[in-house]
Amino acid sequence: MSKLTKITLGIVVILLIIFPLFSNAYTVQVAITTITYSMLGLAFAFSMRVGLPRMDIAAWWGVGGYTTAILMKDGMSFWLTALIGGLIAVIIGAIVFSIAIPRGMMAFFIFCMVLSMAFYQIYGTVKFFGGWSGIVNVPVPTIGAFEFIAKRDIYYMGLFFLVLNGVVYYLLYNSKIGRAWNAIGSGLKLARSLGIDVVKYRMANVLIGNFFIAVAGSYFVGYYRAAFPSIFSFAAGLNVMVYLIVGGFSYSLAGPILGALIATFVPEYLRVKAEYQVIFTSAIVILILMFLPFGVIGWVDQKVRPWLSSQKWYSRATKSA
Amino acid sequence: MALLELKDVCKTFGKLEAVCNLDFDVKKGEIHSLIGPNGAGKTTVFNLITGTYPLTNGKIVFNGDDITRLQPHQTAQKGIGRSFQGTFLFMHQSVLDNLMIGFHMSCGAGVLKEFLHTPGARKVDDECRKKALEIIEFMGLGTLKNELAGNLPHGHQRALGVSIALACAPTLLMLDEPVTGMNPTETVEMVERIKKIRDTGITIILIEHTMRVVMNVSDRITVLSYGKKIAEGLPEDIRNNQEVIEAYLGREEK
Repeated sequence: MSKLTKITLGIVVILLIIFPLFSNAYTVQVAITTITYSMLGLAFAFSMRVGLPRMDIAAWWGVGGYTTAILMKDGMSFWLTALIGGLIAVIIGAIVFSIAIPRGMMAFFIFCMVLSMAFYQIYGTVKFFGGWSGIVNVPVPTIGAFEFIAKRDIYYMGLFFLVLNGVVYYLLYNSKIGRAWNAIGSGLKLARSLGIDVVKYRMANVLIGNFFIAVAGSYFVGYYRAAFPSIFSFAAGLNVMVYLIVGGFSYSLAGPILGALIATFVPEYLRVKAEYQVIFTSAIVILILMFLPFGVIGWVDQKVRPWLSSQKWYSRATKSA
Repeated sequence: MALLELKDVCKTFGKLEAVCNLDFDVKKGEIHSLIGPNGAGKTTVFNLITGTYPLTNGKIVFNGDDITRLQPHQTAQKGIGRSFQGTFLFMHQSVLDNLMIGFHMSCGAGVLKEFLHTPGARKVDDECRKKALEIIEFMGLGTLKNELAGNLPHGHQRALGVSIALACAPTLLMLDEPVTGMNPTETVEMVERIKKIRDTGITIILIEHTMRVVMNVSDRITVLSYGKKIAEGLPEDIRNNQEVIEAYLGREEK
């Protein structure tokens, strides 16, 4: 990471930390949902790295959400439910994906869509999950005597999860396993010829994603204090694609976060009515694909980088620290 | 001593017999060329050896192990490296990064250590980079190490393909038309490199159309036509073999 990247990151983190001090409760609430969607978006970009567009994110989001809802009503600590939810998502994932992943991208794609719809039906029809009205009055997450009720506190909890998620993904991307994933994503045949077990590496990628998607579900229920099927619908899982397109599909970490930020805040502040949300989001996606095909970050990169490279201070600041 | 043996190997795609009753062996330390007109089944043989295509019939033994049923990543792990006929590279990554992926099997700390970015892992990473640079220099791509693979001219892309295969530290290196698209100077340099690679102890199977190269560099030559072996032996024998000449109808590229 260059000096400039480190400084920019530092500034962003500071802004994120002081943000609630300057905002009203409503804005912080929008930020909370943005954080949840960011984590889902990060997971989508994560599996895209190995050439697998995953349409099943809502299913595992629900696994985490319902695990937290059910176990917390039974008196378990929120943090433990999040861990358990993550592990359940990994275990179930290991079983179901052993069928789908060896069969390639298309089979996986369709399998995930079916999975998402199936889980939605299970959440709605099985009594254990509370049926279509779901589970309400989930207790407040606590650490000792401290209760996460205030929006600001829930925001900071979310920031913790988001940063954890981002750091783990970043470390993975810049390691041997990340290089193998890149190889799988850019050239399957070539990757195999270099001894990379594509099925094993794809499985690892998808299962790691499962864990963090479930944690995002636990976080959301910790905030919302209710879980019902319509939250974890297939359509909700589709939105993650939007974040990546808006942010920029080649930016696996910054892309989904910025995309989620734009796609969540813009409709809120333009006071787009609930009925028109989908049309509005679709319009954004079409405009982005037409005018900024590499996303917002891609556009900034292309416009700003050539000018920056000609500046002396920039080349000094971007030397690897 | 045979490093690689194909026994009675057959591959059919539906009704098409791509390769038939092929007995083929490669001795340790030799440069063995596989030639024949287009469509003879040479690349199919490579794909059968690596496990990209499953065999219809027959057996393949490498270094004493039966590798008939192994998948491509497993044959690679056994020590068989290959370059490809089409240019298969990681186009959006630099030459150096392409090599680093090639070191997946042979260089690198464990997965956990790399994830945690321990100082030990970083040291190993630096060593891998050094090895990568050695290979890049050896293949004549030294000045291009940070160039994106997709931006390279065709001849250099071919050389990069061979470099990546070399990074696997293979026992057997299978080169599929490595000099196609190279000018005469580059071809001569590549031939020298192939000989040097053999001198480091790596056995080489070469598919090539350029007869000048094949005759120059091979220890033995096997000729395929319509999936069947029609001749095998020393370069002098093949050059004057009537059946081979007929199969090619005098096809000499340069």
